[in-house]
Amino acid sequence: MKALKLSNEQLIFYIVFGVFGILPIFLNGNLAIMNILTMIMLYAVVATNWDLMMGYAGIFTFGNVAFFVIGAYASGILAMSLGISPWLTIPIGGAITAGIGVLISLPCLRLKGAYVALITFALHMILEPFLKSDMGRAIGTGGAQGLLSIPPLSIGGYTFSSLQPVPWFYVAFGLSLVSLYVTHRIINSSWGLSFVAVRDSEPFAKSLGLDDFRVKLMVFGIAAFFTGMAGAFYGHFVGILSTRVLGLDLFLLLMVMQVVGGMGKFPGALLGAIIVTFANEGLRAAGVYRLVIFGAIVVAVVVLAPDGIMGAILGGGKGRRLDRFRRFARRAFGKETSEAGDSV
Amino acid sequence: MKILQIESLTQRFGELAAVDNLSFEMEEGEILGIAGPNGAGKSTLFNSITGFYKYTGDIYFNNEKISRLRPHQICHKGIARTFQIPHLFLTLPIHENLRVGAHFGVRSHGAEEEEANMNDVMSLLGLQGKEDIITANLNLFDKKLTMLAAAMATKPKLLLVDEPTAGLSPTETRDLVALFKKINKELGLTIIIIEHLMKVLTELSQRMMIMVNGRKIAIGPPAEITKDEKVIEIYLGRGKHA
Repeated sequence: MKALKLSNEQLIFYIVFGVFGILPIFLNGNLAIMNILTMIMLYAVVATNWDLMMGYAGIFTFGNVAFFVIGAYASGILAMSLGISPWLTIPIGGAITAGIGVLISLPCLRLKGAYVALITFALHMILEPFLKSDMGRAIGTGGAQGLLSIPPLSIGGYTFSSLQPVPWFYVAFGLSLVSLYVTHRIINSSWGLSFVAVRDSEPFAKSLGLDDFRVKLMVFGIAAFFTGMAGAFYGHFVGILSTRVLGLDLFLLLMVMQVVGGMGKFPGALLGAIIVTFANEGLRAAGVYRLVIFGAIVVAVVVLAPDGIMGAILGGGKGRRLDRFRRFARRAFGKETSEAGDSV
Repeated sequence: MKILQIESLTQRFGELAAVDNLSFEMEEGEILGIAGPNGAGKSTLFNSITGFYKYTGDIYFNNEKISRLRPHQICHKGIARTFQIPHLFLTLPIHENLRVGAHFGVRSHGAEEEEANMNDVMSLLGLQGKEDIITANLNLFDKKLTMLAAAMATKPKLLLVDEPTAGLSPTETRDLVALFKKINKELGLTIIIIEHLMKVLTELSQRMMIMVNGRKIAIGPPAEITKDEKVIEIYLGRGKHA
């Protein structure tokens, strides 16, 4: 049964990337659609890594958009002020983000559920005033203006241009493929087992010799690294960067992607990224009602298919799915006060 | 050989001393039964030994001080435990629950050794054929067996079991008692068992300890303990003792 499930995941993963890999051939360089496809690739990275933390490791983090923005600014600043090639600043941006991710995980080590959400959201909240402050300006964030001329990628004599979307897409495609492949490998390794173990029962995991601190540091580090890389790429792709990215829009979009795809169900976040991005574009006509419609979609998905699309594909009884959802909610906001969960 | 030495262990929650200046020792291969009213500090004692709670006093395991180690480090030293309320990885099958113990609880191993260890434990506890069942779908007895199996997969030298028979039928209780005897005899595993059923305790343990209000009021062979005036007075009650 496990082998079947595994191959289903892999099948979806390879089909999606296969289709995306050849899609540009049929689109004839259509600028609008190619840009959407590129963004889907980036969203897939961010949503998948967020899901690795929340869906697999059960760490309720709200700091993943902050990771994205930190990676974007770090790479942009390095490329602009030091003139380092973006090919280098993108992974460096990821590494810097990973460092900050590990740092922010330290106060989270002994905390659970909603408290982790609060601390990671604090990172998100601090980021905007910091980037706009004199301190931020001193390291080159450009203050309230942001970064206005982040250099694009270039290879050999060719410089990437916003008028030619296909090369951009393939770099994002490669980044996404590598990131999601790594996630997939992690999930199916002993690391993935340790994530799920800590999610399901931290006391039990600890009593069986699992170092929960190491698991948390690892999850934060890995997710922040890839999310930071995606953000870094985004900065060079768009060319300008401001704190507007930290607004509620992207945050909600990424959450909806995970819920629609199915939390803790790789590659659900990838499917979620595709569907939600297209839906978001399609709903532009709805104007201010767009978020209302999105809200309704989330409610419907949570009630009807708590495990999202992947849950629907892979099956599982409704009762079990609802139980899972309840456990999720309990873990997030319930009172899990006693460490060992036992009475005296 | 002394496997466990506990020296003036005190565990306070605010003003309340859940465990109050407790000292005792255990011989290797022994089964020690612990009984006492609710709130006597039995589970707190387990949580202290296994590093879940910080405490004052010293604990030595195999003559090595293990105070202030974290839970996973204590596990690596060779102490495993089960929980009063079943703790399991409920989204995972039995097999993977065991793997967590076999993989992370044992220091050096290869993949084959790990599988062999898991299979040994599973056949010892009679869980073969159920490997692929998601543990959320198990009945209470199998949940408790899986929790015990995962603990056993860490290859412990000392096993702490917290009220294993709570909520089980008489038949299941009998099976579990037989299982503990087997584990103790065949593997030479030292066991501390918290239990409310006197019958289980007297049958299993070589020595019994009665705890009340965080203190040890008596320790010794079951035959002596059940006749001890103080124990009868405080815990067993008149007319109830064997």
